[in-house]
Amino acid sequence: MSKEEPLHERYRSHVDALALALDANDEATFRIAFDRLRAQLNVEFNPELKRITAEAQSALRRFREQARLEVLADQEVPDARRRLAHVVKLTEEAAHRTLDLVEQSSPLVDRVALAASQLLEEWGLHGSRQLAVSSMWPERAIETLERAMRDAEHVRRYLSQMLLAQGYQDLSGQIVNAVIKLVLELEKVLGELVSLASGEDTRRMPALKLEQTQPQPVSDTTAGPKVPGVAGTSQFVDDQADIDALLASVSGPR
Amino acid sequence: MEDGPVSNAMKFLVVDDFSTMRRIVKGLLGELGYTDVTEADDGNTALPLLKNGEFDFLITDWNMPGMPGLDLLKAVRSDAKLAKLPVLMLTAEAKREQIIEAAQAGVSGYVIKPFTADTLKEKIDKILSSKAAA
Repeated sequence: MSKEEPLHERYRSHVDALALALDANDEATFRIAFDRLRAQLNVEFNPELKRITAEAQSALRRFREQARLEVLADQEVPDARRRLAHVVKLTEEAAHRTLDLVEQSSPLVDRVALAASQLLEEWGLHGSRQLAVSSMWPERAIETLERAMRDAEHVRRYLSQMLLAQGYQDLSGQIVNAVIKLVLELEKVLGELVSLASGEDTRRMPALKLEQTQPQPVSDTTAGPKVPGVAGTSQFVDDQADIDALLASVSGPR
Repeated sequence: MEDGPVSNAMKFLVVDDFSTMRRIVKGLLGELGYTDVTEADDGNTALPLLKNGEFDFLITDWNMPGMPGLDLLKAVRSDAKLAKLPVLMLTAEAKREQIIEAAQAGVSGYVIKPFTADTLKEKIDKILSSKAAA
């Protein structure tokens, strides 16, 4: 039996059976006839109920996505922009610092090389150790070597600072990883919205995972590097002295 | 780092998921005269090395995939053989509650990235002095 059949064909037999049982005051038969009628009604109305439920779920899902999109648009995307701007600043500063140090080192290395070359030249001109010793050469040689030692020490320090300047890669890498995670979530939400808009069956889609509003770094328990202007930075310490004071105030099994 | 390198036989383990940072720390330790430096990229790699390696000092990042630095610290403190090992946390994690958590877990020192060579030297010296005095 289906909806296309006339009403009396779908229900006549049920109504007749109910009427007969009623007239005969036969409760058992009446209940059986009633259950059959109920089963018939279920067959007809269940698909409609399912459709209404699916639409309600879809509307709820849309509502949740819109709410999440609002958070993404209002806070997290602007935060991500600030994070990336901070990465650009970090890389620029590190590059300039490294270039400055290279520029400071180069003349020192040139000076050492020139002084060594002049000494060698003079040594060659004197022609013998005896002549060289009897002239002003030893004093000049000592002076040059002392200056070379000082210059080498400066260059060593500059190299050490160049080494440290490369730490930007660690910090910027952590920030970029957090932004990648946010972009991935945006991609999921937007993909699902596109599917909904194109009328795809939402029941076949994987459930949208609503995540925390703050993009998280590798570990979910950590906050990542402090980025100026990004939400929540007031909970961060200001500098190393602040950390030392905080550590001193907390006892642990150290 | 005004002083020139003086050779030191102490064994260091440097744990960080960024290889650039491991190289930086290793280079700075070398300048301080600590030339016996082993690297690991997270707590899972570091812990077996620590248990078998007779290390004198651990420098670890916090935020790493696999086992993070805080879990490594807790594992070290709960291991009878490693419990007294000096552990310096070298990390970008600067939230107050995280620093307190690390302190309560028994971190020996905490240096925030970006850091200076002088800060690293000062913290290592301080930790070693405390250990010698204990």
